[in-house]
Amino acid sequence: MKEKPATVFVVDDDDAVRTSLRLLLKSVGLPVETFASAQEFLDAFDAERAGCLVLDIRMPGMSGLELQQRLNEIHAIVPIVFITGHGDVPMAVEAMQHGAVDFIQKPFRDQDLIDRINQALEKDRDNRAGLRERDAIRRRMQQLTPREREVLDLVTQGKANKVIAGDLNVSQRTVEIHRARVMEKMGASSLAHLVRMVIEAERAA
Amino acid sequence: MDTPADSRAATHSKEVAGELKALLDAAVDGVIVIDHDGRITTFNAAAERLFGYTSAEVYGQRIEVLMPEPYRSGHDAYMHNYERTGKARIIGIGREVAAQRRDGTVFPASLAVGEVPGSSPKRYVGFIHDVTARKAATDALRRERDRAQSYLDLAQVMLVALDATGSITLINRKGCKILGYTESELVGRDWYEHCMAEAHRDAARAAHRAALGSRGDIDYTEDEVVTRDGSAKLIAWRTTRVHDEQGRPVGLLSSGEDVTDRRRAEQALKHSEQLLRAAQAIARLGNFELTIPAGSAFWSQQVYEITGLDPAIAPIEPLAFAERYVHPDHRERFKREWRRGLAETGKVDIEYRIVQPDGTPREVHMIAQVLPSADGHSLVVSGTLHDITERKQAEEEARQGQERLTHVARLSTMGEMATGLAHEINQPLTAIATYAQAASRLMAAEGGADPADLREALVAITSQALRAGEVIRRLRAFVKNRTARTETLDINRLIEDLSILAEPDARASDVRLTLELAPGLPPVGADPVQIQQVLLNLIRNAIDALLEKKGSHREIIVRTGWDGPDVEVAVIDHAGGIPPEVALHLFNPFYTTKDAGTGLGLAISRSIIRAHRGKLGHRPTPGGGTTFHFSLPPLPGGT
Repeated sequence: MKEKPATVFVVDDDDAVRTSLRLLLKSVGLPVETFASAQEFLDAFDAERAGCLVLDIRMPGMSGLELQQRLNEIHAIVPIVFITGHGDVPMAVEAMQHGAVDFIQKPFRDQDLIDRINQALEKDRDNRAGLRERDAIRRRMQQLTPREREVLDLVTQGKANKVIAGDLNVSQRTVEIHRARVMEKMGASSLAHLVRMVIEAERAA
Repeated sequence: MDTPADSRAATHSKEVAGELKALLDAAVDGVIVIDHDGRITTFNAAAERLFGYTSAEVYGQRIEVLMPEPYRSGHDAYMHNYERTGKARIIGIGREVAAQRRDGTVFPASLAVGEVPGSSPKRYVGFIHDVTARKAATDALRRERDRAQSYLDLAQVMLVALDATGSITLINRKGCKILGYTESELVGRDWYEHCMAEAHRDAARAAHRAALGSRGDIDYTEDEVVTRDGSAKLIAWRTTRVHDEQGRPVGLLSSGEDVTDRRRAEQALKHSEQLLRAAQAIARLGNFELTIPAGSAFWSQQVYEITGLDPAIAPIEPLAFAERYVHPDHRERFKREWRRGLAETGKVDIEYRIVQPDGTPREVHMIAQVLPSADGHSLVVSGTLHDITERKQAEEEARQGQERLTHVARLSTMGEMATGLAHEINQPLTAIATYAQAASRLMAAEGGADPADLREALVAITSQALRAGEVIRRLRAFVKNRTARTETLDINRLIEDLSILAEPDARASDVRLTLELAPGLPPVGADPVQIQQVLLNLIRNAIDALLEKKGSHREIIVRTGWDGPDVEVAVIDHAGGIPPEVALHLFNPFYTTKDAGTGLGLAISRSIIRAHRGKLGHRPTPGGGTTFHFSLPPLPGGT
């Protein structure tokens, strides 16, 4: 899969803060894109793009918190670092409860912000890696025949071949052959590995 | 036949008759003898001269020819009466009668009548002389006396003569009138007993004795007398002693003037002067009058009190007064307005400060008016001087109190806006810090920084520092405790400046602040900070109203325009509007619907606008919400 480099998306209504952030992130070599409002960001939002969001919590029109809510509604996984004023701690706490990576109060030390951004980017990478893994497992699971899928379900429920043969009303030998093909198609190195993949595939809705 | 004796007797008789005749004729008085019929038998030379008849003409005539009517007709009756009764009014006594001459003229005559002794039938002799001259003298005397009496009576003073014991020997008509008695009721009575109240009686008697016993002038006195009806009258007396021929004092003659009414009027005048003085003292209001150019002048007691000048000092002319006692800061204005007032309007109305001789300043209000003068040549200026120091101080204190309150309200508004303002300062600080840190990193980077990037950072840092400074400057100007002052303001410009303070607050509450400023508005004269305070207060209220009503359209419009000739500023929201029970108390101090409100905002806003001769009110916004609006009159001459 071909990916663009991870980008830091900055959303702040204050021109100066926005522009200074772009310069700072540029100085540390991070690709930056800036937006003057939450709506502008939403309009340009592409779930496929890797990166993180640096979001001003307090903005006219759609606030940072509202943007977070909208992104959650569309299951966007982009990690968010909120920037807040002195009086905004309660809002920041709410943001954390809704899955924000972190928040940082203005004005901030550059390294603190950069650390949090890096943390967020890492999380995004992890998220995306996990997503890719899950997609692969699901794709593999889709290659299984209905009988093989049945065997997989029963195997991962921890049933022995003999029990499965009884359940499916087939010979134990037939169950062994299906099981070997499941292991092969799924690329599982062990039963434990197979179980982990099934759990992973079923995790995200 | 004649005997010698007879002859002697006859000769003698003749001689006697001749002597008698000579005697009669030598008599000064007219001598007339009449018989019992009243016919004249003797008529001497003096009688001839008196009446103009010769004796021959009247012999045998009745005496009545010598009488004018009505005596002439009455005489017979007198005679018969006498003969019958033996009584005569005239016999034996002299009386004055009217007599008539031959030529008919009548003259007063004194007549004495006697019966000739032994005559039978009876004869009567009358002695008569002309009393015209004497009567004239007597009449003159009487007229003189009457005139003197009438003088006494005409005199508008009462004249009373008392003897040594105090009995009334004389009192004139005026005296009777004052006392309410007739003359006869008073003369001979004891003055002190009769005409004085018991309480004063002994002292008055003692004074009477002392006056009689002394030699010098008798003092002018005032005494109360008691009149017939029991009322008291105050009499002012001048008294002299009356002496007999030997120079011994025998009584007192007093002229008395009834001064009851005058004293009463004087008392009333004195009382009213006291009242006026008391009123002036209470009101701290003096009055004065002066004549220009003559310079005669009057200052009431209170003028001296207010100016602190010694009452012994004569009033001085206002311009001279200004030179000495008007505060130097006000002196020229005083002189200018005084001169102009007299010359142009005839009225001077001025407040100024005086400095008392001991250096104490007083604030006074003087009103003076030119009055028409009697002679038409000079001016009479009448005026009042009012000490308004306390009022001025109270006004000053009220003004300072209002300013303090206004300031507190401003601080309170600022407190409510703190979050937004903190944000507003934090933003440029954040930008500055971020730019600076970015610049450091760029410079530390391998290969050096791009100068364009560094320049961008530095320019931005500068402008952001200025931005923060500007916010702080406005904040300081807004919260500073200061004296109100009027400046020429462009209201649109003021609102644009204000939005730097107001917008963060609105943004913090997610409210958009929109300015709709009408072009071409005239400048107004106003205190910029106070007008901003009013606007911020209205915007804050609108924000709070929007926060209260969820889901309302989150916008506040500040719109300028015209209200007739005035400039109007409206702060428009689409929140929930004002409930009627709240509207009732909206401008009451300390009335608030907010948990943390002081209740001062609108009360002070209204007083600020009123002080600028404008109006602050509210009306519903079409489509819901409230519009607060205030007007300010344009500066005269500004367009």
